[in-house]
Formats: sequence, structure tokens, C-alpha cells
Amino acid sequence: MRPFGIRPGVFLALFVASVRMFVRNRAAVFFSLFLPLIIMLIFGVLNLEGSTTISLGIVDDADSEISRSLVSAINGVESFEVTAPDSGEMQAALRAGDLELGLVIPAGWGQGGDFQPLNAFAATSSRQDARIGALIVNSIVFRIAAGSTDLPASMVVVEQVAARDLGYIDFLVPGIVGMTVMQLGLFSVAFGFVQLKRTGALRRLFATPTSPVYFLGAQVAARLIIASFQVAILLGVGIWFGLQMFGDYASLAVVVMLGSVIFLAVGFAIAGWAKNEDQAAPVANLISLPMMFLSGVFFPRDAMPDFLAAVTGYMPLTYVNEALRSIVNDGAGLTSLGPQLLGMGVWAVIAFILAVRLFRWE
Amino acid sequence: MTTSSASAIISARDLRKRYGALQAVDGVGFEVAEGEVFGILGPNGAGKTTTLEMIEGMRTIDSGTAVVDGIDVSRDPRAVKARIGIQLQASSFFDELNLVELLQLFGHLYGRRVDAPKLLADVELTEKARSQVRTLSGGQKQRFSIAAALVNEPRVLFLDEPTTGLDPQARRHLWGLVRQIRERGHTVVLTTHYMEEAEELCDRVAIMDRGRIIALDTPAKLVGSLLGRGFAKERVERLANLEDVFLDLTGHDLRDED
Repeated sequence: MRPFGIRPGVFLALFVASVRMFVRNRAAVFFSLFLPLIIMLIFGVLNLEGSTTISLGIVDDADSEISRSLVSAINGVESFEVTAPDSGEMQAALRAGDLELGLVIPAGWGQGGDFQPLNAFAATSSRQDARIGALIVNSIVFRIAAGSTDLPASMVVVEQVAARDLGYIDFLVPGIVGMTVMQLGLFSVAFGFVQLKRTGALRRLFATPTSPVYFLGAQVAARLIIASFQVAILLGVGIWFGLQMFGDYASLAVVVMLGSVIFLAVGFAIAGWAKNEDQAAPVANLISLPMMFLSGVFFPRDAMPDFLAAVTGYMPLTYVNEALRSIVNDGAGLTSLGPQLLGMGVWAVIAFILAVRLFRWE
Repeated sequence: MTTSSASAIISARDLRKRYGALQAVDGVGFEVAEGEVFGILGPNGAGKTTTLEMIEGMRTIDSGTAVVDGIDVSRDPRAVKARIGIQLQASSFFDELNLVELLQLFGHLYGRRVDAPKLLADVELTEKARSQVRTLSGGQKQRFSIAAALVNEPRVLFLDEPTTGLDPQARRHLWGLVRQIRERGHTVVLTTHYMEEAEELCDRVAIMDRGRIIALDTPAKLVGSLLGRGFAKERVERLANLEDVFLDLTGHDLRDED
């Protein structure tokens, strides 16, 4: 069966060749890397949330005439959207990213001209708005305290509060990562392999004593490595655009690999069945397009009618996207992703069985 | 049908292959001696390629046996593939790799390191070492395909219609290459539908039609036996033909080296 036994050298040579073939194929690189990047940049630049007001919570522990006059002065600033939570609510709202700036007026503030600095809490999710807000508050305090001597240089001491910011970029990037994983698996295999089949390059491998299974393995390994690089690039660009990564990269890698396995298997099923690219293209598109728009890549699935939301919840890309978002946005670990991992696992098995049944070398 | 001889490197007996209703190969048997250039001639659809591919281990054999270098192909096709070199009809290679990378990759598939520059020099493709196959001309592609088939220093080289589609210069050049390969001690089995090519290159030829061998001998004996049956061409053989005129006018130099 194997005249040379298992040969790592052969696998390595085929792996290197597979990586080279991919990175030198401009269409493959464009569709699987640059297109997602471009989509991300366009949506990133659009910055769909772009709020114009600064949300500010004020806890007035002083509750004095002078503190109330400060609150009303702050209320008079149009840019502020002021609420009056209690201290605990305020901290929670800051962490959740619902508040950008929190202000605590300490008890006894301003009594007898004693203006100690105010404590401000800036949500890390809104570095710029919170900073501007603090500056505005600072200037108002100076106006109110005018006439008092011995004022500190700054009347507002700002403390950062790690906040979860669910901006659009945070929603978008995990979705784009999921989409890329799908596109890479589906298209690079469905097209690349069908082409090798059609031109006879695959047949030429049969003329050698090496089992084609080595080539199959090398192709899969090469695409898993390429997927990792792509995800790293997408995340890097996303972080540059303000994406916050709350989860750990190991969990992310597991989900990316599992997702890749599902779509690589689907790709091989298509490549195995199709005789040429013209047959492979419509099937690959038929599978990928609905998922691209219904699996929550660009828009949350909450907005869908109940029936559609329920059905699309079972799509493989939906599981991948949900898992990726939980990791990136909520810092979820693999243990809390049971349903998604189960969903992905079931799809992986289905796709693998399909691939094995449909795959033909010639 | 065939008598077994000790020096035979290929021994095919009663090979059969059926595709649906079509009996593509219908009881083919022959032997090829070591160091010989053996040709399989025949019109399209005669079963030449199928016969070749069964012997190469590229296609399963319905019935009959093929033994290559002492190994039964049906029993151990991979061991046979390790000892032979195959140039497929219209074979294609990975587009994104250059010639050197491809030869090195193919070397790995045989578990050996190859001297890619030497292999390319042997087929006069040194200048194309860093090019991709798709940029090569027809003749260059065929020569590269032969270089790739030689990476494992095969006992037998199989060439399936190596000169189909080539211009006369490139065809003659390839003939020279086949002769060199033979001089280096490789046995060569080729298919062709150019009689002239068979006459130039082959020590013996088998003529196939409808899945069967209908004649098998040296070109000279085949012609002799035909003449012996009283055959005479209607036209008197001219001392030169149009191809000679063409080559006289355009020269023997290869044209595919841009």
C-alpha cells in the first residue's frame, strides 16, 4: 500500500506547495482576504453608530444647593444626556457601555467654599467623548467655584472604567471573521480543487506512488494555516478600528478551526461532485449567499421575523458567528459555548459525511 | 498470444477493460524488452491510452494481468508507479508553481531529492526554470512533462501521444529527446497516431484497432510483410515530401523558444 511508509517530508513538501499555490493565486487572495478587509474598512469608515451626545450619569452625594446648581448647569449643556442613577447602577452602566461618563459629587462638596475635586468615571469604550465630557464638566465647576481660592488645578479627577462597548465594529468584525472562514473553506476548495480535477493536475499526482490522501491533508492543513493568518489580519485591522477583544485567543482559534473544518468539508463535497467550475460556482453561491445575509454577519438576527430567526439559527455560520461574538464581545470561554460548539460539531459531522460520499478524485 | 521471455520488463496478458457498453480494451497482450522503444499505434478510440493506463496502474484492470519490472500492477500499483515515469496525454501541472518547484515537489512524491537544473537542462528548458507551465509553448510543455516523468529515474517511461499538436520542428526535437532517453538505458513505451513517428523511434510497434492488437512487429517487418502480399503504392514514392520542403524552408530550429 505505502511503499515508503508514512512520510512527513512528502506531507511538508505538499503543504508548502499548497500554501504557495494559494498565496500566488491572486483571485483566491482577493476573494478570501482583500474582499473581507475592504468590506470591513467600508463599514468601519461608515461607523454606523456615530452618536453626537455624551451620556453622563451624575450621583449627587452632596445634595446641596450648590451641588444642585452644578447639576442644572451640566443639564444645560446640549451635548450631555444626563441621568441620575445610584452609585451601583452607574458603575454597572459604565461597564456595560451604556454610559460614557459618570460623575460623583461627594458629600459636603462646595460647603464653605471647600471645592474638593469631583470623581469622574470614564468608560473605556468612549475614550474621546468621555474626555471631552470631563473637560466640559471641569470648566463648569471652575465657573461655579469662581471666587474661591485654593482651587486645585483640575476639578475633575478622571478614573477609567473598563467598559464593554458594543459598537458596530465589535459586532461586525466577528461576523466578518466568520464570513471569511466560510468563504475560504467553500470557495478556495470548491474552485481550486475542481480546477485541479478538470485540468488533470490531480490525475498527474496519481501517476506517482504517493497516496493522494497526502495531498488532501496538505491542502486542508494549508487552508487552516491560511485561515489563521487571515483571522489574525482581520482582527488586527479591527482592533485598529477600535474593536475590543474581551475573550481569549485560544478559544477564538478553536472556533475558527472548527468553523474552517465545516466549510472545508462542504467545499470538498462540492469539489467532489462538480465536474468543472461552472457547476461548482452556483452551488457554492447557493450555500454561501443566504448565510452571508441571514447568519448575522452584517446585521443582528434579532431584527428578523421570529420564524426566520428560528430557522436561520440552525445555519452553520450562525453557530460560528454566535460563538465568535460571545468570545470577542463577552469574553466567553469555550465552556460557556456549549450550544454553539454542539451545533458546529453536528454540522462538521454532516459536512464530513457529505464530503466523503460525494468526493471523487476524477 | 505472447511468449514469456526473461528480458521482458513489461508483460501484459489478455488485458480487458469495459466502459458501459464499450469494450475499450478487448484482450490485449504484448511484451516489451528492456531498453526497447515500443510503440502502440492506432486510430483515436482504439484503446491505446486505456491499455497504457492499465499497465501504469492508473486504471483498474477488468481482467488479464500486467507485470512491470516483476511487479503485478493489480497487486501493487504504487510499487509499479514508483518504478515508472508517466507522461499523461495533455497532462497539466499546478499553475502557481514554477518548473523547479514542480520538479522538486515531484521528487518528494517519489521520496527523493532531485537535481532540477540538470533535469531541465536535459530537456533544454534551463531558461524557463522560474517560469510557470502555463507560459510554456506546446513543445516546451511536453518536454517539461517528460522531465517531470524522469524525476525518479524510471525503468520505463510511458509517453501518451507526446507529439500530438506540435509543429514539425518541435516534433523532431522531441524525437531527439526520446532517443537520448533510450540511450541512457530507459525503456520507452509510447502511443502515437503518426506512422512516421513510429517508424523513426520504435524498435517494435503494436497496431491496435477496436480494443485489439491487429499486428505487432518491427516497423521494417510490418512493411515487408505488406509488400510481400503484393502491395504497391499507386503513386511512385517521391524522394522528398511536403514536410521535407517545409523543414528545408523553415529550418530545424525550434520555434517555441520566445
